[in-house]
Amino acid sequence: MKRVLGAALGIFTAIGGFMDIGDLVTDALIGARFGLAMVWVTVVAVIGITVYSEMAGRVATITHRPVFDLVRERMGARLGLANVVVSYLLNALTLVAELCGVALGIELATDVHYLLWVPLVALVTFFVMWRLPFKHMERLYGLVGLFLFVFVVAVWQLGPDWGAMWHDVTHPSVPSGEGLPTYLFYAVVMLGAQMTPYEVFFFSSGAVEHGWTTSDLGQARLNVFIGYPIGGILAIGIQAVAALALQPAGVQVEHLSQSVLPVVMAFGKLGLACAVLGIVAATFGSVLETLLSSGYTAAQHFGWSWGKSVAPSSAARFSVLVIATLIGATAFALTTINPITITIYAVYLGAASLPFTFLPILIVANDRRYLGEHVNGRLANALGVVYLFVVSAAALAALPLLIATKGGL
Amino acid sequence: MARYLDAGLELLDRQVLDCDGRPVGKVDDLELAIDDRGVPTVLVALLLGPQALGMRVGGRVGRAMAGIASRLAGTERPLAIPVEQVAEIGIVVRLDVSVDELPEAGRLEHWLCDQVVARIPGGRRATE
Repeated sequence: MKRVLGAALGIFTAIGGFMDIGDLVTDALIGARFGLAMVWVTVVAVIGITVYSEMAGRVATITHRPVFDLVRERMGARLGLANVVVSYLLNALTLVAELCGVALGIELATDVHYLLWVPLVALVTFFVMWRLPFKHMERLYGLVGLFLFVFVVAVWQLGPDWGAMWHDVTHPSVPSGEGLPTYLFYAVVMLGAQMTPYEVFFFSSGAVEHGWTTSDLGQARLNVFIGYPIGGILAIGIQAVAALALQPAGVQVEHLSQSVLPVVMAFGKLGLACAVLGIVAATFGSVLETLLSSGYTAAQHFGWSWGKSVAPSSAARFSVLVIATLIGATAFALTTINPITITIYAVYLGAASLPFTFLPILIVANDRRYLGEHVNGRLANALGVVYLFVVSAAALAALPLLIATKGGL
Repeated sequence: MARYLDAGLELLDRQVLDCDGRPVGKVDDLELAIDDRGVPTVLVALLLGPQALGMRVGGRVGRAMAGIASRLAGTERPLAIPVEQVAEIGIVVRLDVSVDELPEAGRLEHWLCDQVVARIPGGRRATE
């Protein structure tokens, strides 16, 4: 239990990143349309985000300098300023979608329209930001988010043909009726939805909020190596149950209520309760993660004092920016804009900005003046370079694929 | 042997901390003294804040940023920290003065603290 609590930051970061409203719908959509033919994308995403979070966490643990602090040093004034503006807007845009996501989760349980819940969700978010200690925040939302394992357990309940499933995973093929561009489009969408820049911003800032020092390096690694695989397993679970329950019925997933359908088929009301609890906690985690990240990026770029663990009055600019962002995002959410549409845009922006986040991390993680003996080993560098190519290719392919497939039709 | 400092890589855009480790800002620009030939020879001060950054970024965006910051600060001149007050240049720049002794550095921070944060209940208490 102590181990699990010690890995709470990693679990919280990963669940908020892998199980946000965009992922919850996209995973089910992909499972229903492509079966298990995209499980490999999630595996690729888990390894990539693990590699870069480990680097960023190591840098933050040793130097007490989180990612965005370093991005600027390695980018110069102009590109750095453009990067902070894009990253801030991206986090704020994702926040709008996640606020709606929590509200949609509550709508599943109450049948009360989600827009009525949005202001309440914003109010609770404010209270958490202002009063709930960082440690309690990550434990509460990270661990309750583990209720999403109901999706994984449901795979057994639905009694699949394991041999055929394993074959589908290891021999991915484009299902008949779907074109290759569409398949690739969704592969990029899923990669972008799972490897989000805010996971790295948040994890490295969280390491500083925890006050980790060089002696906590093992702890930081443990967080990454436990957290992200959990996020990946949950994502694969949602894809698998959608493939088992929704694909044969030809269901087109467009809404959160369809994502939870397989769990209801497997476990009935109890399953639904677990799923709703997990969804609300996970999307709430994403709300907090994206909101804090929007404050972190700006404060770290301009060199302000920042942090959730200090009194708001000791980090006034950071705290005011966070509150203003929350108010703005809530107002935007209340315009009845479709949260799923916003996530798609956010995922696209995120995929395009990922190389600009990853490259500075890779450079600094190799700099002995920062890390001394703890610089990257060969494995981290090899994987780091490979993934830099992967995310750059995905960023370049994103727009042509969007146009060629008319947004995945 | 003299050690060289690459100002672009090791000084510009570095985090500046005061003597108590509190953030002051970033090294947004540098002020150099020029001799009678017009050649810059000596580093005089570190320039901090949106005015300095805006002028360095340049273009329409940079000028607007510097303009707004000057209007708010009521002066054209950005916050300058003389090199005599620099204690150490490493992966961060440490000063040997406190941020409280640099009134211009914390103006917006203090204003927001008094006018906004302190008026919200719990704003002055840390959560841990």
